[in-house]
Amino acid sequence: MKDVIEEEEEEQEVLDTEKIKILPGATEDGTAASFQITEEDHTLGNALRYIIMKNPDVEFCGYSIPHPSETKLNIRIQTYGSTTAVEAFQKGLADLSDLCSHIEDKFSEKINAADYSTEEP
Amino acid sequence: MSREGFVAPQNLSSAASGFTSNKNNTVKYICTSCATNVSLGRNDAIRCSSCGHRVLYKARTRRMVQFEAR
Amino acid sequence: MVDNIVHIEHDRVTNTVSTDYPGYHNSDEDFSWNLEKFKNSFDIKISYVTERAANFDLIHIDTSIANAFRRIMISEVPSVAAEQVYIFNNTSVIQDEVLAHRIGLIPLKVDPDNLNWVDQTVDEENRFTDTNTVVMSLDISCTRNPHAPKNTTDPKELYRNSNVYARDLKFEPQGSQLETFKSPVVPADPDILLAKLRPGQEISLKIHCVLGIGADHAKFSPVATASYRLLPTIDITQPISGEDAKKFQKCFSTGVIGIDEKGEAYVKDARRDTVSREVLRHDEFKGKVKLGRKRDHFIFNVESTGAMSPEEIFFKSVRILRNKCEYLRNCPIGQA
Repeated sequence: MKDVIEEEEEEQEVLDTEKIKILPGATEDGTAASFQITEEDHTLGNALRYIIMKNPDVEFCGYSIPHPSETKLNIRIQTYGSTTAVEAFQKGLADLSDLCSHIEDKFSEKINAADYSTEEP
Repeated sequence: MSREGFVAPQNLSSAASGFTSNKNNTVKYICTSCATNVSLGRNDAIRCSSCGHRVLYKARTRRMVQFEAR
Repeated sequence: MVDNIVHIEHDRVTNTVSTDYPGYHNSDEDFSWNLEKFKNSFDIKISYVTERAANFDLIHIDTSIANAFRRIMISEVPSVAAEQVYIFNNTSVIQDEVLAHRIGLIPLKVDPDNLNWVDQTVDEENRFTDTNTVVMSLDISCTRNPHAPKNTTDPKELYRNSNVYARDLKFEPQGSQLETFKSPVVPADPDILLAKLRPGQEISLKIHCVLGIGADHAKFSPVATASYRLLPTIDITQPISGEDAKKFQKCFSTGVIGIDEKGEAYVKDARRDTVSREVLRHDEFKGKVKLGRKRDHFIFNVESTGAMSPEEIFFKSVRILRNKCEYLRNCPIGQA
């Protein structure tokens, strides 16, 4: 387990500067911006859109895959002004991460409880 | 830490030209009539040794070919 | 309270899109993301888990999240499959490239955690090592069976090795693989037919199996299917009895509708329904029944190809989605 943690830390030292960019056209105050993420698709796009729309400070959030043969994901965030688009984006990632952690905990709890059939009906 | 379980043929040029490694420089054929394996040298008559049929297939050599499993 | 039922009418579906966002409804209900609230409402019910298949319900979760897990299970959970085939001899009637393709599609029983990713930047000579590649070989030739029963025409009796199966693939452990692998690598299904041979024909080849994901090629997908459906609801609004009740029962899959001692139809098990809408085609049931599906109740069915247990595949999909988030959180946001 220790090895795994060390490995992850090593990976994070090499910063992936190409993964996410802010597209031109963001407002001066940063309350509205579009992001472009590479190597991602509807899997992350729609889940992230949902969780960002759950943020009460966000007025609008939408995503698109501008071209089907490019592995690029555009995500647009507009806030009411009380927070910035980058902050809303980061909060969305944190919330989605928490959600996954809870689902994993819950599923392992249910698997360990073993009160299910081991035969297909 | 050896990378592969096989050794690529060293004498690729001879493998490509269809010669087997035996010294007397013969090529393996299969008779189209009786399916016997026939080994023929440079000056041998093109004829099956057992049935005399004159049409022969060239047998596939064991030259390695690589494919992507896609 | 938000209506969480997708209404199914005879020619249309309505209320299909989730609207649980702050600012969408003119009510006092708070729809903003709240982890504690989610923890209280979210539930998982496992119906069954076998070696090859799992069926479980994710309850009170949005489609976008459930769909992410489904998509990840199909195309992003890594598994091991044959990638390179080195053919020394193949005198069978099946062509080399077709045989190679068929070998690629065989599901292998290898724990993907035993292998590292192949580094595509390394030159081909040194790319494959015992830490990232499994080597298997297939050496088989067909011969006549001298003890074949008289008058038989069955190739299996007349010849030896007339059929080549996945089980004929032999694992060739490299380097330290005998110690690092808990069990030898075998095909998950030994009876997959790869080729047919006749006496004198021979197949001799070696394969290199590597890690990959389903997005690259379906052979790397660890699931045969990973799908979900929404829990059906059947609402009988007016009593249906007598002969009508029997006809009503026949409109649904077996076991969905029961008939009580008064001869009245009742919903016994809506989960078994296929939502065929047959009941909506009959005028006598007009206005007496409402069909629907619970929009936040997902019945997952995960069938493994055999490399991993189905519950492990789901676990991995959850971890992969979380890792995507954690990775992005640590990425610097550049300017385009």
